[in-house]
Amino acid sequence: MRQATCCECGLTTTVRSFYRMNGKTYCEPCVWKASREAKAAGQPAEYVALQDNSVCGRCGAYSGDSSDHPIVGKIPLCSTCAPQVSNWPYPGWLKISLAVLLLLLVVALLHGRRYFHAGRTMYVGERLVEKHEYESAIPYLQETLRIAPESDKAALLTAKAALSIGDINTADKAIQGHNKGHFEDADNPEFAQVKAMWNRAETAYTKAEEAAKLEQQDGRAAEAARMMHEAASLYPEARGLAEAAETADEGAAFEAKDYDQFLAIAQKMWQQYPGSGTAAAVASAFACKYAVTGDAKYKQQSEEMLETSRQKVDPDPEQQKWFQEYAERIRHRLDTRQIITKTEYDRKFRGGQGKGE
Amino acid sequence: MFFIPGPVIALLTFPGIIIHETAHLYFCKLFKLQVYDVCFIRFGNPAGYVLHEKTENFTTSFFVSLGPFFGNSLLCVVFCTAAFLPVWELKVADPLAYFFYWLGLSIGMHAFPSTGDLSNLWELAPEKAKAGNILAILSFPLIGLLYILNFARMFWADLGYGIAIGILGPIALFRALAWA
Repeated sequence: MRQATCCECGLTTTVRSFYRMNGKTYCEPCVWKASREAKAAGQPAEYVALQDNSVCGRCGAYSGDSSDHPIVGKIPLCSTCAPQVSNWPYPGWLKISLAVLLLLLVVALLHGRRYFHAGRTMYVGERLVEKHEYESAIPYLQETLRIAPESDKAALLTAKAALSIGDINTADKAIQGHNKGHFEDADNPEFAQVKAMWNRAETAYTKAEEAAKLEQQDGRAAEAARMMHEAASLYPEARGLAEAAETADEGAAFEAKDYDQFLAIAQKMWQQYPGSGTAAAVASAFACKYAVTGDAKYKQQSEEMLETSRQKVDPDPEQQKWFQEYAERIRHRLDTRQIITKTEYDRKFRGGQGKGE
Repeated sequence: MFFIPGPVIALLTFPGIIIHETAHLYFCKLFKLQVYDVCFIRFGNPAGYVLHEKTENFTTSFFVSLGPFFGNSLLCVVFCTAAFLPVWELKVADPLAYFFYWLGLSIGMHAFPSTGDLSNLWELAPEKAKAGNILAILSFPLIGLLYILNFARMFWADLGYGIAIGILGPIALFRALAWA
């Protein structure tokens, strides 16, 4: 390696140990001193390390006294280092690793495809719930639960949407399908909200069941109607409870022998929910009007509505049986102009018990 | 604040270190800077490095210094996106999803540029900004923020950043998709 000599102390050693300042060569201790003095005298005090171009700046390979390494950038580099520094190669293991990473990326995206679908349906469902479009939200959220039944969020959103439209069965399925109704975080506001809704719905349905039992007892129709209205107002989201309350009003009017009111409610129900049951109720009310007035037009209207009810009745054997039982009593009323309760009818003609108009 | 030795962190999150250094090397090669030495991973401080030629070009310096920040962040979001839904939202016990989450967080945790990387930019930025370099002007706040976050590493800011983009990134992505 090439050597140099300090102009101050005369130290002679390798070039790379020296510095140049204002055209002179110094060793390290002398350059500090010279720099301080130059600074104090107001002269340039910057110094730079001497570069030995015969020594590779990277690997330290010596080129010999007679030749220098070529300068690449600002550094002398040997023939081995120069191409590497200019174009550093990616090691083989790194290329393989990056290929594996790329493969993992593809696997991650493919593997996550069904989760993306479940996530998207959940977010769409959540957005619809936020917009109070509960009925539209439920199919999306159910799709999420199909893939991820343990998702707290999806289960709670489904239950919330279902309870908001009075669909207690869907809410029950969503909650029970989630770890048998167990949720990790009981302090979660969403959970608290759904729990409050669920409790309100449950109380309303318990009250409605009690009202339904009362309806089966003679002389308690008015009480049953009141309870059913309480249930309906407690859980107004359930359309079925509102219908049941109106049906209970029919029973109360029948029991109070207010047949005009009975007919008015029955006709209103028939217009709102045209079905076999509501048609049969109108037929029953017309039959009552015929029984008390003897006006043949009521009898005719009753028979027409009974026929409508027959046409609309479900082919299900249970429904057919219900219709036959109901129609039999209405025909008896039309034939005899006697208004008796189901209990009386059953006792007289069927040897059984029961209640109803 | 609990302390975990650097080599343990390096071992647990080695993919992020390798990707960080690879991104440095990639941008050095892209901008034709000389590279004097590369260490993709080691059990020391720093856990990896790329020694390269200094440049006065701000754009080159910007991408060489901050390339790993963008690259690691992007990969973190992608891997965490694949794992976010099953792990966080859907509560599906899927081992592959947990693996991807580890990979994503490991990569995201090493997104921050080192103080050495930032100091190069910090030195160049004022002069270039004065000269009207738009990138230098725009990058001032980012460089400043990264400087602060870099010092906050002792409070696990790097892990916090990984978790933040690994969770917030996918949430933003999926919410945008749901609204689309």
